[in-house]
Amino acid sequence: MLRFLTRRLIQMFILFIIFLSVVWLLLHLMPGDISDTLIGDPNIPLSTRLELQERLGLNQPLHIQYWTYVTNFFKGELGVSFSRYPQDVWNILWEAIPRTLVLVLTATLIAYWMGFKSGKLIAWGRGGKTEQSFIVGGIFLQTVFYPWFAIVMLWTFGFFFGWFPIGRFISVGLWQGSGFDASSIFQQLILTTFIAFFVYLGARSIIKRAAPTLVTQQRLQRVVAGLIILVLVAFWYYHPARTYVADVVWHTVLPVATLGLVLFGAVMLITRTSMLETLGEDYILTARAKGLPKGVIRDRHAARNALLPVVTSFVLALGTVIGGAIITEEIFSWPGMGKLFLDGIIVSDIPLVAGALALTGVLTLFAHLVVDVLYTVLDPRIRIS
Amino acid sequence: MATKETTHLDETIPEEAEAAATFEELLAGRDVATEPLWRIRLRLFRRSFAKNWGLFTESKMGIVGLIIIAVFGLMAIAHPILMSTVWDPVIYDPVSGYDAVFTEFTIVEDDALVDETSEIGITDARFELNPTVDVGDTVRIPAQPAPPTLGGEEGRAHFLGTDPQGRDIFSQLLYGARAAFLLGFVAAFTTVFIATTVGSIAAYYGGKLDGFLMRTADLILLMPLLPLLIVLSAVVQINMIMLGIMIGVLGGFGGDAIILKSQALSIKVKSYIDAARVAGGGDGHIIFRHIIPNVVPLSLLYMMFGVTTAIALEATLSFLGLLNIQMSWGIMINTASTQGYLLSGTSYWWLLFPAGLAVSFLAFGFFVVGRGMDEVINPRLRAR
Amino acid sequence: MTLSMENLQTRRVDPNQPLLEVDDLVMHYKIKAGDVSAVDNVSFTIHQGEAVGLVGESGCGKTSAALSLLRLLPANAEYISGQIRLNGDDLLQLTEEEMRERRWKDIAMVFQGAMNSWNPVYRVGEQIREVLDTHYRGEMTIEEQDRHIEALFRAVGLPPEMAARYPHEFSGGMRQRAVIAMALACSPDLIIADEPTTALDVIVQDQILRELKRIQAEMGMSILYISHDIAVIAEVTDSLGVMYAGKLVEYGPTSEVFSRPRHPYAYLLLRSTPSITGPRRKLAPLEGEPPDLLNPPTGCRFHPRCPFATEKCVVEEPPLEEIFEGHRVACWNYEEVPELERELVR
Repeated sequence: MLRFLTRRLIQMFILFIIFLSVVWLLLHLMPGDISDTLIGDPNIPLSTRLELQERLGLNQPLHIQYWTYVTNFFKGELGVSFSRYPQDVWNILWEAIPRTLVLVLTATLIAYWMGFKSGKLIAWGRGGKTEQSFIVGGIFLQTVFYPWFAIVMLWTFGFFFGWFPIGRFISVGLWQGSGFDASSIFQQLILTTFIAFFVYLGARSIIKRAAPTLVTQQRLQRVVAGLIILVLVAFWYYHPARTYVADVVWHTVLPVATLGLVLFGAVMLITRTSMLETLGEDYILTARAKGLPKGVIRDRHAARNALLPVVTSFVLALGTVIGGAIITEEIFSWPGMGKLFLDGIIVSDIPLVAGALALTGVLTLFAHLVVDVLYTVLDPRIRIS
Repeated sequence: MATKETTHLDETIPEEAEAAATFEELLAGRDVATEPLWRIRLRLFRRSFAKNWGLFTESKMGIVGLIIIAVFGLMAIAHPILMSTVWDPVIYDPVSGYDAVFTEFTIVEDDALVDETSEIGITDARFELNPTVDVGDTVRIPAQPAPPTLGGEEGRAHFLGTDPQGRDIFSQLLYGARAAFLLGFVAAFTTVFIATTVGSIAAYYGGKLDGFLMRTADLILLMPLLPLLIVLSAVVQINMIMLGIMIGVLGGFGGDAIILKSQALSIKVKSYIDAARVAGGGDGHIIFRHIIPNVVPLSLLYMMFGVTTAIALEATLSFLGLLNIQMSWGIMINTASTQGYLLSGTSYWWLLFPAGLAVSFLAFGFFVVGRGMDEVINPRLRAR
Repeated sequence: MTLSMENLQTRRVDPNQPLLEVDDLVMHYKIKAGDVSAVDNVSFTIHQGEAVGLVGESGCGKTSAALSLLRLLPANAEYISGQIRLNGDDLLQLTEEEMRERRWKDIAMVFQGAMNSWNPVYRVGEQIREVLDTHYRGEMTIEEQDRHIEALFRAVGLPPEMAARYPHEFSGGMRQRAVIAMALACSPDLIIADEPTTALDVIVQDQILRELKRIQAEMGMSILYISHDIAVIAEVTDSLGVMYAGKLVEYGPTSEVFSRPRHPYAYLLLRSTPSITGPRRKLAPLEGEPPDLLNPPTGCRFHPRCPFATEKCVVEEPPLEEIFEGHRVACWNYEEVPELERELVR
């Protein structure tokens, strides 16, 4: 396991270097050098331009420039934003990352959870109108023109029904003078959710060892899961920043739902196919012959194995997730990395764009690593050999 | 049980079954020697096509997809014909046309304004039109975007109204179909070309070349496609054909190459490849005459999914206003949203819905046809 | 708690007491093209402690017959008529839930190809525990289950600590032993062994069959063997049935059927393989293909391939008639079969 991880990490490091190089190449396809874009900008003094030229090594040969670019990245120096001069790119991105992560992670987790459940159920109860309509709906969600779909969602639920706010991720007026900082609230939200998740995992493994029968095991697990959710909700309910957290959540619902729905369609279809293949396996017949109840055969035997290709499929879905996040942030004016990236493109803020891309690369590779580890945990055949 | 097994057999090995059929014909005394080879090939092709078509039509969705594609195809063909016959280019050109459609507005009190498409506030009316008008008057104003009109005695027909710049949406929609097909096919053919070539070469030669090609494919698979295309479109001016080729190269060299390589590997080990080699066939001969023809059917499947991706990507990039394209479905939505009609919803439905639905439906059509083909190629997915 | 290895072995067996009676079972598969008559008028009885074999070519309906005993057939299967009585209760009359409770507890199964009968993602011991959890829900603690699984592994000659391993860590023979251990988990009255040794090499095949035979003798359970290989199951069964195209064409004591087959199909099936120990004789080839069960042949289903077929065979279906005590044959011309034997040996 450890050897596998180190090998994978080295591979990923190499991949990342290649990715950085591609980004660098792309940006250098532009005519002139980067600092030329600053000449026309009256906000930026000439001395800065010269200083920047020096620091980025723009008056040096190309290979030195490349080297400076790569080493600067690892030193954490992403440069100074052109459009928001003199803010540091790293600081700008640091504020945006949690927002993007909340959007992407919640949408992905909900979509995978629900997509897996419904894919499993429609494959199990094969045939009939329900399956057909779920398939058509799933394909529609997968092929729908996403920006248009997002606009329609925003119009329907934000404007027509008025259930959710239109755009931005907080109600600015509400937060003014509150003494709370939206970013730190975001970080706390993420942190507490992670803690809750790991507490649950820990409790599970304790239960597995301590419970006398399998029946009690299952019951205890459910009770613990319920308790943890209760504690989490209670924690935020009695938190001093309650209204602000509620505000954040209220703003999050619509973009998450929109991105999630599109992913949901894809996950459901993949699960269905994978489940149909699994249901034809011999061990399903064995499970039936063993007299196991239907739910156990479906969940413990068929779905558990059908899960493996679904997990792998996340690697391919990452493209959709990243693209979807950019569009979602643009349409819902969600100030995350995607929005920064698009704004940066429009105003040619090259350090910002390069920084956002590089961080996207890091996050993508991290997601790959998580999927790899998850897969080895789920499939004993890989784990042991 | 017995019948199930036998049908399964001849589904999985179509080539062998075909070969047997011609062999029977040989035995039956048909004079094969005088029959030109192409005719035999054609007959074999027709037979396998008929069988696969039968399997394909079993899934109703596949047929629906074909119908959708056909409808859009007709639209694409109709546009140049209409432009050269019925439609006056000055009015109907999708890019440079202009028609001010007069619409009747009722003048109301400023605070009683409800429906912006048929009512106008008194202040605005006095300011913009005529200081003498009063509440209750009806005025005719040339306005864009104008709602759909079927023509008639005084106006020209705009089946889907006009956009904020007075251009005919229906004409744009038909033109957009043409653009989408052009892009889709360029992307799809590039995908198939690259994927089959890379896959076949990697499978046939193996070794270091295979390793290099497959690692490259892994790398491309890892690249976030949309952000890279966004950067690229900001750096260079991208037109439709270039975009198609780029999507095709990235798509074809990525996941598709990996899948087609495994398909080519399964063909490489068949005995007729050895036979061809023993008979003195060179590498090129074996790759182009034996491996690639057997990989192409599967690659056609991925071509369908490739078209779906290409259409969606183009529309997305156009929507963001990043492409050097004059008109497409994505541009139509971009025009509406940049002119402030992003949240116009149902009151200006003709601005957002025709283009958005067109992108979605055409992508849906290709995707569903791809799924239908998947069920033909992959018997396990079929309904039993 | 009544479950332990000790009282598995003290089962009282009355060899004259029928355990499972299959009466005129007719089962069809509904497919688009029509009805496939997979099991047609099959009747036989398995007594307590008896080992019965069913042989036939692949696709003759023997696996369908076996699966229909557990009501495990695919959704498009339909029981047309007949009874399956286990200890007197008609299994076809039970509700699905009652049937589910009986599976494995009363009739367990050893499947063809042990490789795939294990779920790859769970430890072998856990998959056996599942059976105990289902059929003795809440009655056994985890510790008791562990002890029971240990005992089962010992009974089939596997080291008990292997229960904590995953299926892919087992060799083919070990996996099949573990399958047998799982089949014994609830001490069932009957074990159906569907091609229990097909995927194994000859030596392991022999070990597994001996193991099964020993366990059967020790625990006094009944076994129904299903195989295409008549020589393999002739060694371990007391009675033998031969199936052809969904029909039982011959049934009787193994020694009788094996040494003096009376149905032409059974005869040809036996004589199409050479015998090392028996008298030297020509091999009689079995020509033709098994029939299409969508449109089975009229009369006797074997007539298109039968060397003795007469006019009568084409129009009229022969009944399964008792020709000797306990030996039943469905053939109009069974008396001519020994003639052929004489000719071939000469």
